[in-house]
Amino acid sequence: MASLGARNPFRKLYSLLPIVLLFISVLNEFDFNYLNLDYFSFNFPFILIFFFSLKDFKHFDYFLVFLAGLVNDTVVGLPLGISSLSYCLICISTSYLRNITIRPNIIKDWFYFLFTISLINSISYSVLNLFFYYKLDLVNYVINNFFTFLFYLFFVSIFNYYLKGVND
Amino acid sequence: MASSRDDFIIAIRSAFLKKSTQQKFSLLTLVFLSIFIILLSSLDFRVVRYLKIGINEVVYRSSFLVSIPENFLKDSFTGISDYTTFFKDYNQTKKELSKMKSNAVSNNIIEFENKELKELINDYVSTSNKILAKIIMDHDSPFLKSIIINKGSKDNIKIGTNIYDQSYLVGRVIEVNYKTARVLLLSDLNSNVPVTIAPQNVQAIITGRGDNIGHIKYMKDGFSNDLNNQSIVYTSGTGAIFKSGIPIGKLKIKEEGSTKKFNVEFYSDFSQLKYVFAEVIIKTAIENTTQNTTNNEISKPVDVKLNILEDELKIVEDTKLKFKQENENLKKIINNLNNDILDLKNNISLQKEKIEQSDLDKKEIEFLKMNLYYGHKCRRSFFNTGGFTVGSDDYKNCVLNKGRKN
Repeated sequence: MASLGARNPFRKLYSLLPIVLLFISVLNEFDFNYLNLDYFSFNFPFILIFFFSLKDFKHFDYFLVFLAGLVNDTVVGLPLGISSLSYCLICISTSYLRNITIRPNIIKDWFYFLFTISLINSISYSVLNLFFYYKLDLVNYVINNFFTFLFYLFFVSIFNYYLKGVND
Repeated sequence: MASSRDDFIIAIRSAFLKKSTQQKFSLLTLVFLSIFIILLSSLDFRVVRYLKIGINEVVYRSSFLVSIPENFLKDSFTGISDYTTFFKDYNQTKKELSKMKSNAVSNNIIEFENKELKELINDYVSTSNKILAKIIMDHDSPFLKSIIINKGSKDNIKIGTNIYDQSYLVGRVIEVNYKTARVLLLSDLNSNVPVTIAPQNVQAIITGRGDNIGHIKYMKDGFSNDLNNQSIVYTSGTGAIFKSGIPIGKLKIKEEGSTKKFNVEFYSDFSQLKYVFAEVIIKTAIENTTQNTTNNEISKPVDVKLNILEDELKIVEDTKLKFKQENENLKKIINNLNNDILDLKNNISLQKEKIEQSDLDKKEIEFLKMNLYYGHKCRRSFFNTGGFTVGSDDYKNCVLNKGRKN
């Protein structure tokens, strides 16, 4: 009993790691831009939110995801609420996928991820362009979308290790 | 068919509305909340503005702290790459420095002249105070190119404040918080700067492309033929958004078949910025000492010009009057002097006469003296028959010859 009590705070902290990582990533926006690779960028929060809202939704508080979106908007300089909406839409899409899926398949998830982020980026681009008159480079969006899609599998393999640790 | 549609609706409903035990809000609530915030942030309410400023302050500081490890990595990376090109850069910098020094002298002269001319036309003199600001966030987002600096409304930073890297333009402030401000870089797609291309003196607008190169837009046809790769691009000051004469970059002409593309290579490397200068402008009106303070409150530029001309006329008339008076005074002085000369001449003639008279008197006295001594030898008498009659010329000559009669 005593050993369980000692273990619980660490376990709780460990279970909160994705949310902590999400906040760090939106505050820091690490994207390896200093490597000066032209057009190279990917959206790490999208991967993180998609994976954890799909696989570990019990430990992934939607409200905190919503707050992370507000922080991201502040850091990037977008109108408040745009990223929150995008993140919430990812959560909705994963929730729907979870409901309709009986046998999960990583490749199906991967392409569903592509569909989701493409849709969300389109909505975000349209809202910014039509309602806020932001001039945005569509090529950048497409490339960002592509790299986010490519990096999904890489990060999923890492996150799976983490999930194993949580479940054990 | 009906069952599959029901399944879809159930899945959608569940996705939107179902809230598991761990969740405090359903996703539908959060989506509505997001939309509400988007609408609210687009409206410029004072409460929302202050709330936004508060959030910005907290988030920017937090982001700065969180970014410390990444910034350390970034600095190490750039430090290593700088070290490899250190000697080459040193030599180039040395050459550039000597050029800059000579340019700085001529710039100072031009600045001084400009100030003097502004003072002459009673314009206001804008004294700019450049304050150093540290970049606390420079997340090079692929979509929006902006930086956050650690100076805000507390330091007189305003929306539109020009931001420099040394003397090169970097961008302008688009959002001001109490202690922080967001700067839109020239490389951003939303950045439009009116520029002049020298020495051809062509006016154009430069927009960002998302990288370290700007794109020249809205240039009149026919003007582009004279441009070359050595042309310098600087702000024209049109629209009063940016100050005029701030260097931006060098023109780069890219030929694609028959068409030419005009790009601008920025002088400043926006990815390497650590500190920037924010130009806080204070406008001070020049006091008019010749006129009353009430007359100074002239708003129309035409009236100001007329006033200047009137002043000039008044000055000319005053000088003319002064010259006339001086002329008359001089004439009087000349007349007086002429009179003096005449008096002096008279005096001289009188003096001459007196001298002549005195000479005559002297001769007379001499004669009388000698007459006393030698008169008896020359006077005709009973005993001196060979003498002369007193008063005659011979008598005189005899006396003057000391009694000798030849």
